[in-house]
Amino acid sequence: MKGEEISSSAPLNKDLVDKMVVPGDVILDLSKMTNQTIKLGSGLCQDGDTIRVIKAGRLRFSKPNKYWIENSQKRYIPSAGDTILGIVADCRPDNFLVDIKGPTLAYLPVLAFEGGTRRNIPKFEVGTLLYVRVVKANTGMNPELSCTDAGGKAAEFGPLKGGYMFESSTGLCRMLLGSPACPVLEALGKRLSFEIAVGLNGRVWVNASSPKTIVAIANALMSSESLSGVQQRILVEKLMQSPALS
Amino acid sequence: MEQRLANSWRMSVNDKKFIEEALLSDIRIDGRGPFEYRRLTIKFGKEDGQSEVQLGHTHVMAYVTSQLVQPYRDRPNEGTLSIFTELSPMADPSFEVGRPGELAIELGRVIDRGLRESRAVDMESLCVVAGRFVWAVRVDLHIVDNGGNLIDAANIAALAALLTFRRPECTIGGEDGQEITIHPPEVREPLGLIIHHLPVAVTFGIFGEDKSLVLVSLVLHISIDLSRHGGRMTTTVNSNGDVCAIQKAGGEGVMPSEIMRCLRVASVKAAEITQTIKESVDVYNENRSLRHIKRHLKSAPVEVRVPERGTEGNETGGVATDFSKLSSSEAGGSPMVTKGEEAPSGDAVESTEDPEVKPLTLKTPSLKQETQSPQRTLRDAVKAKQKKKKK
Repeated sequence: MKGEEISSSAPLNKDLVDKMVVPGDVILDLSKMTNQTIKLGSGLCQDGDTIRVIKAGRLRFSKPNKYWIENSQKRYIPSAGDTILGIVADCRPDNFLVDIKGPTLAYLPVLAFEGGTRRNIPKFEVGTLLYVRVVKANTGMNPELSCTDAGGKAAEFGPLKGGYMFESSTGLCRMLLGSPACPVLEALGKRLSFEIAVGLNGRVWVNASSPKTIVAIANALMSSESLSGVQQRILVEKLMQSPALS
Repeated sequence: MEQRLANSWRMSVNDKKFIEEALLSDIRIDGRGPFEYRRLTIKFGKEDGQSEVQLGHTHVMAYVTSQLVQPYRDRPNEGTLSIFTELSPMADPSFEVGRPGELAIELGRVIDRGLRESRAVDMESLCVVAGRFVWAVRVDLHIVDNGGNLIDAANIAALAALLTFRRPECTIGGEDGQEITIHPPEVREPLGLIIHHLPVAVTFGIFGEDKSLVLVSLVLHISIDLSRHGGRMTTTVNSNGDVCAIQKAGGEGVMPSEIMRCLRVASVKAAEITQTIKESVDVYNENRSLRHIKRHLKSAPVEVRVPERGTEGNETGGVATDFSKLSSSEAGGSPMVTKGEEAPSGDAVESTEDPEVKPLTLKTPSLKQETQSPQRTLRDAVKAKQKKKKK
């Protein structure tokens, strides 16, 4: 049905943008479009002449030509360019095997660090928490990670010390990473001092001076996913007033 | 191998250190006290013997079914009780389909031991014909979501399901007294199981180093990982203070005084949980009997003269006393007694009619009219029941 709609008029991509779509929906018909470059994000794939949805969620478009699907899941599907939090599962001569909450373990080459040579391979024990970047993520292959940015600099990637990490959904993490800062982070930042690292795979790491603060922040973040901006601010207010926090 | 590595739940060293540090200052990740449970909700399904328990994020469902089987040779006059657990892969990525892992087997064994060894469910009442037919009760536990502390949650689900389960009634007949007729629930009301007491499982995680052990109940699976080197202990106690079972698999040794302390805490918790379970079961039974009454009212109108139980809730004092008279006269108090009353509807009120009955009758226009005797007595009630049975 969708195919007929598309063939009858100009590409109907505008109609589906910002709407909920399900796997199988066709959002673009390439045969109708002239020479254009279209960038596809996660959740979309090219199927012959059409672009099909392969993940349920909301279709997003950003000018001039980027399309992607946004949804919130507990599991993570790796995609290139994401910054995530991984836990070292095993050490091999050539790579570290890192658990990134995806369908398979990911490989982190031992040389993928700033100034990394065979002489100064970092020693990570099993269970080390790392902030890494996904370099390659193709279906069927183990994803490849790196502790440097695209230019080869360290840029905050690497092991995280101390603090506490909790797991949540991918939607919450995207909300926390959005700009301008989401209300709960803003409100918390005004009263408490803490540092967080957010991974797009549904993991968030929090560090603060006292365990009580860490626990409070973690709980506030976990419960703020479904709240609106105003509700988030109210949540933080209530938290501040409770006797647990100084 | 790699797939299993990928799916297994893992904790970072940061978390381990943090949880231990926080526990030493009596802080838990979700703000609970050291001996506090998460929120417990018990729900029931449409059929008897189906329960759904949520303990925080953990979600467990239990189904109880029964079947007539041959008893074991060495126990010819006892029924059987078996527990089956199914850890669905949607509950946790580390659960695999097919072969039950260590956790599933341990879960089943602990719950089974709690119910069987303590003789919570009366087995002898499940015997129909000694040596030939007994009821085999089967409890299926499905773990739908793993948020930690599966044993406690699954135990509560099993208890709730067993309390609300009803098996069909059967009578022995035939020439040689060996034929069994199983009556469907519409003909004869099914019977519940006889449960003497409720064994409740309370799980503790043992943390701390050296001699200072910090005991925490209602362990999340995060902490279970941590307590691998301290140990995990499940105690099954009932509200009378009897210890039904203790399971401590692995971990460091624990002083006997600490175990006694755990048992004391567990008995307090067991009393609370028993209370919660009993309350939910009472609510369920009430709804169930209400449902039965409604069911009969929807059937074809029948000539009866029994005062109607106010389905609209306008049961007045007068009617209530009549009803209590009736229920005491009927052995077993089957809901079939409470049939709708035939009364003149729309007619002018007869002077002989009981004035309290008026508000009820106006709302049942579909029932047939029938002349009303001036005074309703017990005999009318008995007669009415006989009339119904003939039909």
